[in-house]
Formats: sequence, C-alpha cells, structure tokens
Amino acid sequence: MAQLLEQFINGLVLGGIYALIAVGYTMVYGIIQLINFAHGEIFMFGAYLALMLITVFNIPFWIALPASMLLCAMLGMLIDLVAYRPLRNAPRLSALITAIGISLVLQNLARMIWSARPRLFPTETLPAFLVSEVNMQTGEILNAIPLPGGGILPYRDVFILLLAVILMIALNRLIYLTRIGKAMRACAQDRVASNLMGIKTNQIIAITFAIGSALGAVAGIMVGLSENITPTMGYYKGVAAFAAAVLGGIGNITGAMLGGIIIGLAEVFGAGYISSGYRLAIAYVIMIAVIVIRPSGLFGKSTANRA
Amino acid sequence: MRNWLVGLLIVGFVSICGCQPADKNKQESQKELKVAVAAPYTGGGAAFGEMIKRGAELKEKEINEAGGINGMKLTLLFEDDAGKGSEASLVAERIVNSPQKILAVVGHFNSDCSLAGQEIYDRAGIVELSPGSTAVEVCEQSIWTFRNLYRDDFQGKFIAQYIDNVLTDLESVAVFFDNDAYGRGLRNGFVAEAEKIGLNVVASEAYERDSTNFKAQLTSIKAKNPDAIFISGLFAEAGLIVKQGREAGITAQFFGADGVDSPDFLTIAGSAAEGTYLSTPFTFGAAGAEAKQMAANFEAFHGVAPDTWAALTYDAVGMIAEALEKTYNAEASLADNRKAIREHLASLDTPEEGYNGVTGLTYFDINGDTVNKPAYAKIVKDGQFTVAEKQLSELK
Repeated sequence: MAQLLEQFINGLVLGGIYALIAVGYTMVYGIIQLINFAHGEIFMFGAYLALMLITVFNIPFWIALPASMLLCAMLGMLIDLVAYRPLRNAPRLSALITAIGISLVLQNLARMIWSARPRLFPTETLPAFLVSEVNMQTGEILNAIPLPGGGILPYRDVFILLLAVILMIALNRLIYLTRIGKAMRACAQDRVASNLMGIKTNQIIAITFAIGSALGAVAGIMVGLSENITPTMGYYKGVAAFAAAVLGGIGNITGAMLGGIIIGLAEVFGAGYISSGYRLAIAYVIMIAVIVIRPSGLFGKSTANRA
Repeated sequence: MRNWLVGLLIVGFVSICGCQPADKNKQESQKELKVAVAAPYTGGGAAFGEMIKRGAELKEKEINEAGGINGMKLTLLFEDDAGKGSEASLVAERIVNSPQKILAVVGHFNSDCSLAGQEIYDRAGIVELSPGSTAVEVCEQSIWTFRNLYRDDFQGKFIAQYIDNVLTDLESVAVFFDNDAYGRGLRNGFVAEAEKIGLNVVASEAYERDSTNFKAQLTSIKAKNPDAIFISGLFAEAGLIVKQGREAGITAQFFGADGVDSPDFLTIAGSAAEGTYLSTPFTFGAAGAEAKQMAANFEAFHGVAPDTWAALTYDAVGMIAEALEKTYNAEASLADNRKAIREHLASLDTPEEGYNGVTGLTYFDINGDTVNKPAYAKIVKDGQFTVAEKQLSELK
C-alpha cells in the first residue's frame, strides 16, 4: 500500500513534467498546425542554460530559474522567426521537416558546447530543501515528508508538483481571461480572419512560442534536479510528452495536461508493477489504444476550437 | 559567365583537395602500421572512451618514441561506436573496408558492440582485441576475437562470493540490471552463484540504457527491503540509481561491477556514491611498479590520472604492437598480415608465452578468453575509489 502511494506520487511528478512539455507542443500545434519537434530541444536548453547560469556565472537557483525561462522564451521566438515564419504559407510538410532539422541542429549544438557527458546541478548550488538524502546511520530522511506505511515524499517532488499546477492554472487564466489569450484563441480558430480583424498574428504566434518554451525550460530544470542533463534528454522526454499531447488531443491544452499525467502514471506503474524493460512501450500502448477509439484524442475536437 | 567561373573554381578546389592527401597517403603508407581503436567516444559512455583513447595514445607515443615497430610508425585510428551495437557494425564495416589498410582492431568496449562487430571482423579476417567486453559469449563465437580481462561469469561469481564471505552481514540482495548483453549476462552469473551459495536474491529489476528516471523500479526494490542492491550496468545509469536511491530513502549497501568503474560515476552520484563497492579487473592501488610508472607517465602526458580502462587499453595496444613487431611482413598481403597477428595472439596460450603488461600477465585459452586475471574489490571512500581493505583471496 505504501508502495502504491509512493509509485502514484512518482507518476504524478513525472506526469507533471510531461504536462509542462506537452503544453508547448499542443499550443504551437493549436495555433499553426505545426508539430514543433524542436520543442524537446528547447526543454534541454532550459536545463543547460540554468546549469550554466548557476555554475559559470554563480547565479542563485531562484534567479537562474526565471532567467533560463526568459532565455528559452527568446530562443523559441528566434526559432519561429528564422525557421517557421518564412514557411508560414508553405505546405505543412515543409515546416515539419524544418522542425526536425532545427531539432537536430540544436541537439548537436548542445553536444558541441557542452559535450555528450551527463551533467547535474551541483547539490550545493541548489536550495537546501530540494536535496533530499537519507542519513545512512539513522535511516532518517532529510527534506522529505514521511508517508504512512514507510514511504517518503521528498519536498522536491512537492515543489515540482506545486510549480506545475501553478503554471498550468496561470496558463489557463492567461488564455481565457486576457486579451492576449483571446487573440491566441482567435488565431487558433482562424488565422486569416484574425489578421483581418486587426490581430497581429505573427506577434501572437511569437508569444505562443515564448510561453511554450518558457514552460519547457521549467520542465527541463525540474528534470535536471534529479536526473541527468544530456544533449539527448530532449529527445527521450520530448517523445513521451508528444505522446501525451496526442493522447490528450493535440491542440487542446487541458488535454495535454491530462495526457501528461496519464503517460507519467502509466510509465511508472508499468515499470513498477509489470516490466521495467517496457516502461515507455506501456505508455505508448495506452496512447495508441486511446487514439484507435478516439482518433482526435481525449479532448480533441474535429472542429477548429483548439487553443 | 559567372556560373562558368564558379564551376571552374569548384573543379579546381575539388581537385586540389582530392589530390593532395592521396599523394601523402601513398608516401606514408609504407612507413605506417595502422591499428583501429574502437570505443564509445560519444554518447552516455563517452567517459570510458576518453580514457581508452588516452591509454592508447600513451602507448602509441611510447612505441613511436622508442623507434616504432621495426622502424615503422604505429598509427592509431579512433573509431566511435557510441556504445551502441547498431553503430558498432557500421564502424566495423568501415574498418575492414578502409583504404587505410587497418591491420587489427583494439576494441570494442561494450559487449554489445564487440558482438555486433564480430561477424564483420570474422568475415574479413581481422583481429578484434577487446579491453573491456566481459559478456560470456564474446570470444566463443569467433576465432578472431580476444580479450585481456575476465568474463562476467567469473565477475558475477566474484561479487556474489564477496558479498557472502566478506560483507557477511548482508543476507538479501536485489539485482538491478541494464537490459543488454553485458547487464543480463552479469546478472545471470551473479544470480547463479548466489543461489549456489545461499545468498537470497529478493528482486530482479531491469532498466533500459540511457534511462534517467529509476524511481519506479527503486520504489519496487525498496518494498522488498534488501540488505544490498547489485547494479549490473554502466556508470551513467548506476550513478543516478545510487543518487535517486538515497533520495528515496534506501539505506541498502550498493554494489556495482566494472561497468561502474569510471571517475564519472563519482561526479554523477555525488555524495551518495560514498561506500559503494564495485568489482574491477584491474586497479592501480593493487598493482606493481610497472603500472605505477605507467600511471605517472599517463598523468604527465594527459594531466589526469588513468583509470582501469586506460590501463587495459594500454596493454591491448601493446599486445598488437608486439604481434606486429614479430609478424609484420611488408611484402605480404593485408589479409596475410592480419592473419599473422591472429596466429601470434593465439600462440600466447601458456603463462610462459603470455604478454607481460601493466595489468599483469595476459594469455589466452582456446576461445581467446583470458582466464588467469583476478578481480579486485574497490570502495568509494571520501569521494575517491580506493582498494577495499578486505579482498577475496580465492574464489571457491
């Protein structure tokens, strides 16, 4: 029972991270019908940029986090400007291939700059409460909440979950309550008509890229807190997050959030209870099963109400 | 007009680029003996590749400074297999068909890679001398494959007996293994011996190479409450497993094998690495004066201390160089020269004939396996690998 609870939390944390990435895929798809394969790489850059800010420039974690979000937002807008905007009216396939190209360029760029060696945030640079560790003598665990039945919940996992939830709510409010959000929804419904109504569509698309990229950067840093930072991390997590976006119905933000949680839980329970060798396979089987029954995903609509 | 000019420029450029190196090759090919060193220079195992490359470079430099091989220069060509079998077969094709006339291959490192390249080397008739592949079946399937370290059935046995005889308060073990030829083979060797000597294996969980999140499996293992966790895999994943395990409140004793034996394990696991035991085919701490000299030269040349794999590669290059020295015939064909190297290595089948390197005496059995080399236990102490106080003197 304790194990079940702990696995559930593991799944939620992983799912929260997937949700943050998946939202970036789905927002861009919603607005320009482009599967932005470079998004996984922006997620990876988010982790690396924060790592650089912390280790090279000695910037504290709490400043490096928003700074990395900002830098990634700019990177996202830059990619849109140089790679996708010139192809706005080209066939969709051209933009898709460009996205794959950008993804490869960024991945290899990271390999050139930072080498393929796995890196981590040095523990001493992180806020103390984010580092949980067991005391080998007493078995006591620092910075974690004991769960009934002997399990533990590290503060870091609570932090990741809270941050994911807050960002998701903020995003939801932004889209439904602000003028920019309204413009984004309008663009998603009909870009040409929005433009005719006086919405600067290119600007709105750039903002969409910026928001998605900033959320991706947060996810990258959260992953870096307990896992490796490598040039290929964007690929592995990106593919799973993309599956989450498709599962939720690509183009639908609520769907992406839920899809992320479902994939995260499926992966963890698959690895924990069925077979660890097939952790991703189990997540994909669920995705495929949903797609077969509902081709547009859990929340996807065949009409144009995407963002 | 302009197109015409550009065209001319391109033709000129290509011909300049194309001709010069070709001429150069022709001149030098008579004086150079080329050997490929195939290892993971990129990817998750790049830290292994880096040390392998440096160990090989040191030997190359020493040989050439001492006058080369019968007056000919030894040139090493470094081929990157990225630690992946699929990549290794491409590398193998490239090596055997290379116009560079490669005489032998030192490598591969990962067992998966050695096995993937094997078929191609076997067909082409070129020696594959691995300084790192320990999976049981590596040398059995080809007469062209050799290695200068122990096999995983031996290593698995060593770890099981070490836990049982030396770390006597550990009674139950969970195995967490990499789902590839190395990880599975080593787990099998370990579990077989554990069952024989009555060590209780309470869980066996797998993970995939390049995984970074092990929390689900670690939570399952934690529920079984083992005294020790044996990680049958490589340092990148093992480092994260140890770190995430300690974060999740696991207090069990971690034990790794030679795949964990890389300085990068310490950087990845950080303070969680402390107290981890591992087995290794060679350690400078328990080696002779020759090895200490090699370590000093290595540090002077590269500015860092060598690891196990640098030493084993240093010896592997030395063995190929010795074979070349004794057998190379400039008049003979490439295939005959490649074959002569194999014949020489195969003739090193007794302790008297064996090659005396920094990692000890190496000689081969009928398969090309090295059966005489021992295993050592190391422990992480104050953030450093050190030779464990108690060693297992003899395997039962």
